[in-house]
Amino acid sequence: MTGVFGAPLKRKEDPRLLRGNGRYLADLKRHGMLAAVIVRSPHPHARIRSVDASGAREDLRTVAVLTAADLPELPPLPCIDAEETTRPFNQPVMAADKVRYVGEPVAVVVAEDRYVAEDVAELVVVDYEPLPAVADAERAMEPGAPIVHEDTNVCDTLEYKIGDPDAAFESAPHVLSERFTTQRYAGMPMETRGAIAEWDPRTETITLTSSTQVPNSVKRDVCESLKLPESRVRVLVPDVGGAFGVKIQTYPEEILLCFLARRLGRPLKWVEDRWEHMVASTHGREQFHDVEVAYDGDGRVLAIRDRCVTNTGAYLQRLTLVEPFIGVSMLTGPYDITDFEATAHVVMTNKAPMNPFRGVGHVQAAFTMERIMDTIAFELELDPADVRLRNMIAAEDLPRPRGLGNVLAGEIIYDSGDYAECLRRALALSGYEEFRAEQDEQRRRGRLLGIGIGAFVEETGLGPYEMGSVRLEPSGQVVVHTGACTSGQGHLTTLAQIAADTLAVDPADVDVRYGDTDLVRWGVGTYASRTAAIGGTAIRNAAVVVRERALQVAAALLEADPSDLELSGGRVAIVGSPGGPSVNLGEIAAAVAPGRHLPEGIDSYGVEATDVFHPPTNTFAYGVHVSKVEVDAATGIVTLLEHHVVNDSGTVINPLILDGQVQGGVALGVGGALLEEVVYDDDAQPRNPNFMDYLMPADRNVPEITVEHMAIATPHNPDGIKGGGEGGAVGAPAAIANAVADAIAPGRVTATPITPARVFAAMVEAGVIEPEAARA
Amino acid sequence: MSTHTITVTVNGVAHTQEVEARLTLADLLRERLDLTATHLGCEHGVCGACTVVVDGHAARSCTTLAVQADGAEIRTLEGVAEGEELHPVQQAFWEKHGMQCGFCTPGIVMSLVELLERDPGPSERAIAAVLGGHLCRCTGYVKIREAAEEAVRLAAQGRSRGEAS
Repeated sequence: MTGVFGAPLKRKEDPRLLRGNGRYLADLKRHGMLAAVIVRSPHPHARIRSVDASGAREDLRTVAVLTAADLPELPPLPCIDAEETTRPFNQPVMAADKVRYVGEPVAVVVAEDRYVAEDVAELVVVDYEPLPAVADAERAMEPGAPIVHEDTNVCDTLEYKIGDPDAAFESAPHVLSERFTTQRYAGMPMETRGAIAEWDPRTETITLTSSTQVPNSVKRDVCESLKLPESRVRVLVPDVGGAFGVKIQTYPEEILLCFLARRLGRPLKWVEDRWEHMVASTHGREQFHDVEVAYDGDGRVLAIRDRCVTNTGAYLQRLTLVEPFIGVSMLTGPYDITDFEATAHVVMTNKAPMNPFRGVGHVQAAFTMERIMDTIAFELELDPADVRLRNMIAAEDLPRPRGLGNVLAGEIIYDSGDYAECLRRALALSGYEEFRAEQDEQRRRGRLLGIGIGAFVEETGLGPYEMGSVRLEPSGQVVVHTGACTSGQGHLTTLAQIAADTLAVDPADVDVRYGDTDLVRWGVGTYASRTAAIGGTAIRNAAVVVRERALQVAAALLEADPSDLELSGGRVAIVGSPGGPSVNLGEIAAAVAPGRHLPEGIDSYGVEATDVFHPPTNTFAYGVHVSKVEVDAATGIVTLLEHHVVNDSGTVINPLILDGQVQGGVALGVGGALLEEVVYDDDAQPRNPNFMDYLMPADRNVPEITVEHMAIATPHNPDGIKGGGEGGAVGAPAAIANAVADAIAPGRVTATPITPARVFAAMVEAGVIEPEAARA
Repeated sequence: MSTHTITVTVNGVAHTQEVEARLTLADLLRERLDLTATHLGCEHGVCGACTVVVDGHAARSCTTLAVQADGAEIRTLEGVAEGEELHPVQQAFWEKHGMQCGFCTPGIVMSLVELLERDPGPSERAIAAVLGGHLCRCTGYVKIREAAEEAVRLAAQGRSRGEAS
């Protein structure tokens, strides 16, 4: 239907959710269902001397207790981005001899309901011999540090080099050195993780319903772990209450539940509470960059050396190496820097494992690079926007290979766009020049205002593939199956817009189905800003085939040539003969349904097609954020005044939904910039695993966020979509950090979260305020 | 563990249940009465996803015990729409894209429904006070604020239509 693709349609999913008809994992019940509770390690590092489950087993309310001793040998959880050099510090599905982080599973207890299961879980006695633990990555790299696994805590060291940085440094007029630190924080969806496992003795099949982003991956892992063939495991996904990357992998609990459901022959449900979520679901980000930057008197960056250390926690997870991969390989962002060298150490500690979440690696890269840009501007007394414009890759130089790559994403080739124009638009949108004038005026009155820029380039539209099927039904309905797996992104609407656009129907007549591995055999899932670009393309390609096929059938029915036909409003008619013969899509589907003679010239049943789209390479979205802040000189508290974003996610399917994605990402970035941190003490005990002490951004923390789109098409898929799920989270911390640094200049900002204590200390150190001033 | 017999009226329907003292109101609604629109995000009273209206006041059902609700009139998201017609707050969240995953939404809708009943023309500050009691990880709050303002407008429109007829 014309005007559907690109239109700000209201979401199809909302009326159902607003009436309370959402069905999230915890809402589901099965006949005879039991509740499982995981017994978790209270120690960051300990040897397990014994597990005595006899007390729990003797309790009449107990249905089952499972410890590592009761399990057959199961393979550890996979890490799919490990290099050949990566030490195999993978996670067992249940700790047997040793625990390595607080929250690691050591037993499962099953009872009739959750309350009782929690009672009984307390009767499982684990005899631990506590071992020295290590929380800090630098400490973990020192000789004599507690060893989390074997021999070394450095599980890998990745080396990158392009050009000749040594020569550039030798002749450079200026060099700056700094450490930029991004803290550990997490996706923190409002819905925790959960799963229901069922064993069907009739078909000898396990059905696992899980709040996951990647049902087909989970299915594969369950098959491999429990040695079951493909048809005997089905993974279903209900409504998911946010995911952000935290639900991007198979977790131990999913395997354990499947094992137990088969053994007990009864359905089992397990849902994390918030404490469990905060200690036993993956975190992200924790990484620092020690950079040396060579630059000239005009502010042009000549070369960068980067030593990056990532604290990846106790075990490799499915995609653990993405934080370091992207953190260094995307460090140079939109800038024309051809002499670059990086060493990235991936370090194990006794914190919970890390895995990617929204903006993975790019957040740290942008924070580091954008602080570098502002530091250069400050040192040379130049405007930060001018320094960026002098360094940006010119639009005419795209596509541009960066000479870097990584094991999952392949070679980095920036495909399309105009970085400088994006920056100029963001400056105009934010009223940058006007604010500068006001800032001086206000500063004279003692108000500390700051404005900061955060530019970035981001790998989006990640492969390797996604599957989409489209079929017409005799009712006129268009049924779409996708391997994408929504957790709030509005896919049921945007993917329907793509199919509706191709088939000239109302999106209301398109039914998008997902989250069932029996429906979508080769699905991948939703992460890495890939669903619109990869999943959407599969649907577009399949719909194009369905359209051709529908026209062929219509031609047979109307006794016309397909080239004389046009499809509009769900109906095929002969061009130029209004009121003439026509057939609608339902009639076309009915004409080739089995049970009747096929029309002349048509030799198969059905109007349907499946596409498995493999993109040639990633796309590269980008954006520029501009943030305005006020810092309270007495307390160091940062207040965000405004936040502006100009984004290029490529072609826009639905601006209402895309704006929501960007705004939500910015809010997550506000949390990362100012509030959130998963805090451990020096012995790796979690200090704030609850929402009282872990500061999530609330309404009052997030200012108005204006969003504009460049909408420059990528050449890598037919609709030109780059992907827009994560950029909001990437640009915001960099822009906010620069705004705070601007407000308290010459005070320094080198680490997030930018807490009042850090701001205050920076102001005191730089002499912006006297320590006594605050007390007065 | 001792049990108590309680009667609660939920969305106009009376239910009598035998409950342990430790059963939360949220679990009574969700597990016993199968009213699962009320969600549990933290179970310690911070996130607000579990908010329901108890005797006219917005309340956290995760930190309220079922026995405390004995005799109470409770409203949950399931009881907000009038048949096919969405409540103005629901309609506004749809119109303004005030939700993404929808997990926190039931609590926010219930808080705003309660606000509009006690204060039909709430100030920006009063709306902020209500939204301040809820966490949302998806939207960044911008469109929630727009939805709340739209809800006030739609509710006023509905009242003037009601008065005119």
